[in-house]
Amino acid sequence: MTILNGCEFPDGLLYYVERTQMTWVRLDGEEARVGLTDPAQTRAGKILHLRIKAAGTARERGRPVATVESGKWAGPVMAPLTGVVVEPNPEVEKDPGLLNTDPYGAGWIVRLKISKPEELRDLLEGPAATARFREILEKDNIRCMRCKE
Amino acid sequence: MSTDLGTPAPADPTGKKILMIMTTGPEDPDKTYAPFYTAALMAAMEIDTTMYFLMHAPELLRKGAAEAVPLKKGGNLKMFVDMALENGVKLMACAESCRDLCEIAETDLIDGVRLVGSATLADLALEADSVISF
Repeated sequence: MTILNGCEFPDGLLYYVERTQMTWVRLDGEEARVGLTDPAQTRAGKILHLRIKAAGTARERGRPVATVESGKWAGPVMAPLTGVVVEPNPEVEKDPGLLNTDPYGAGWIVRLKISKPEELRDLLEGPAATARFREILEKDNIRCMRCKE
Repeated sequence: MSTDLGTPAPADPTGKKILMIMTTGPEDPDKTYAPFYTAALMAAMEIDTTMYFLMHAPELLRKGAAEAVPLKKGGNLKMFVDMALENGVKLMACAESCRDLCEIAETDLIDGVRLVGSATLADLALEADSVISF
């Protein structure tokens, strides 16, 4: 686990960092589980609504797989990899606050079946991810917080 | 008989266009936030979203103006204007309103705004699947 400005970045994950997007990817064979990183949930604030694309929806990398609303922020969660939605997380759809309280666990958003594995090399991990996040956190003055409920 | 009308099922936004017409300017800050927020959300849903600013609304698009519009919950309007632009909302300002009411030159507008004539409003309204007015 790497911690920067109070933001947690678990080991073993890949990270998609593009413009306003900061998502994580956990690989499991041909599937990728996707969620918001700690700084992404902090920047959004307490998330009130979440819509996830239905199972079977094909997405190119960089197109939305979900939309998030917090009252102070509204935006897309982009697909970090091209693929097809296998399963939207039904628990986080019912309780979007999980995105804030457990972003790397119960707050996962979607499982994708990857169709372009060559895109994996564009995701960040290890020291490269740490360096990129350090740069963003300092530039945008982000210090992570977790909602209690 | 139940009176609960429930929540409408999610609509398919694919290929849809929404036009938002904005007539309120900085004179009423409470009416400025929701349109930008809603437009940003719609664009995030992949709806082709355009905001058209006329009457005193183009004042919000003057460089430095959004920073001076306070919001009740703190902060100012700029973060919502930026959010709309980041999400791909198209911002269009009425040339006649800019010239005759607001006295704004094209160079006074923030980056990302297009100055267009009134006829464009007709085009946008006829092409849109829905028109929302604020």
